[in-house]
Amino acid sequence: MPDDTLSFDYEAALGACAAGDRRALERLYQNDSRYLLGVALRIVRHRAVAEDVLHDAFVSIWNRAASFDPQRGAAKGWIYSVVRHCALNNVRASQRELLGGDELDDIADEQGGDDHAGSHAMELNASLGKLDDCLAHLSEVKRASIVYAYVDGCTHGEIAARLKAPLGSVKAWIKRGLAALRECMT
Amino acid sequence: MNQSQAEDLAELQDLAGQYVLGTLSLQRRQQVEQRMLTEVALRDLVDAWEQRLHPLTALAEPQHASSGLWPRIERSLPAPPRVRRAGGWQAWWNNLNFWRWTTAAGLACSALLVAVMLQGGQARRAPGYMVVLVAPRDTVPAWVVQTSSRGQLSLMPLTSASVPEQKALQFWTKGQDWAGPVSLGLVKPGRAQSIGLDKLPPLQPNQLFEITLEPSNGSQTGKPSGPILYIGRAVKVTS
Repeated sequence: MPDDTLSFDYEAALGACAAGDRRALERLYQNDSRYLLGVALRIVRHRAVAEDVLHDAFVSIWNRAASFDPQRGAAKGWIYSVVRHCALNNVRASQRELLGGDELDDIADEQGGDDHAGSHAMELNASLGKLDDCLAHLSEVKRASIVYAYVDGCTHGEIAARLKAPLGSVKAWIKRGLAALRECMT
Repeated sequence: MNQSQAEDLAELQDLAGQYVLGTLSLQRRQQVEQRMLTEVALRDLVDAWEQRLHPLTALAEPQHASSGLWPRIERSLPAPPRVRRAGGWQAWWNNLNFWRWTTAAGLACSALLVAVMLQGGQARRAPGYMVVLVAPRDTVPAWVVQTSSRGQLSLMPLTSASVPEQKALQFWTKGQDWAGPVSLGLVKPGRAQSIGLDKLPPLQPNQLFEITLEPSNGSQTGKPSGPILYIGRAVKVTS
């Protein structure tokens, strides 16, 4: 993560938002909107939709700033999670409009898409810290499954298509990969 | 810990992890968001997963937003607070952990669904505000609330519903900057009804409306005490 976000005081910004200081939200926007938009765009995959997500997420951050509880985690993580879950709910809702929920996985399983073939050798970097070490201990398919899900907002079925693997395998990789990550990070 | 408790914990861990990872369907996401309102254990596991996986956000390439996005956000922010209620509302609201962490994100984003639904049909002709109330674990609209600037609010059921004996439905609203929800009274299941809003400040975009299940003569505490059956947010509708 670039230097300009290291020195930014997210908790103070949320505190000022809770007190009604719009400039605090604007400073947060100026500091982080490009990273947050990047996070949203990877998940929803359309720029206009990603900007809608960022709009809704910032309004939500403003409205909910007073309920942020530092006991439950860092302010920066809270802000990023608001944006991610906004994006995830948006993309799952639009998928649901097209198809009936979990049927998606079955259909995606049959597609066998190739747009990301060969790209699943994840280029992780040192900024991931402990998580990087723990991801490195996972098998490549488990690591790819977890990164595709978290960063690209892929469903089980979409991951199966990218990895050209059976849906059941992907589900098992994610389940075991998460358990191994948790074990490694505690 | 016995074996079945260990299995339960492992399942809860997996659910929390997959929620944060994003691999759950919309319906299951909403179930988790709903459960987090009351299940501290699940919420704690979700918090832990948020923190574990957060570094992965660094893998998304930064993107410059269009120049109009910040002004658009600013226009959507609520007006400065007009209503402040003293007392324990804030404490209650926080104790219930109602709007914390990702739950806040999930429920706030259900406003997106509401807005989408309102783009079609009769909604456009009605001036004022519209709210679609949806059960927290569902996406099927259950009630439509229409408001007019004259301080009347009509509540129309879209589904038939029954209420258990000795129980009643109570209708609540909370503006962005209010310290807590305010009762709009008891409502009858499956019946259209009209409610006066004259004692409330003007409605705001994104104002929260909800119906909870309460004792037959309403909440004894003056604030929601039972489960949320339906929830939605006000969207301004231009005629």
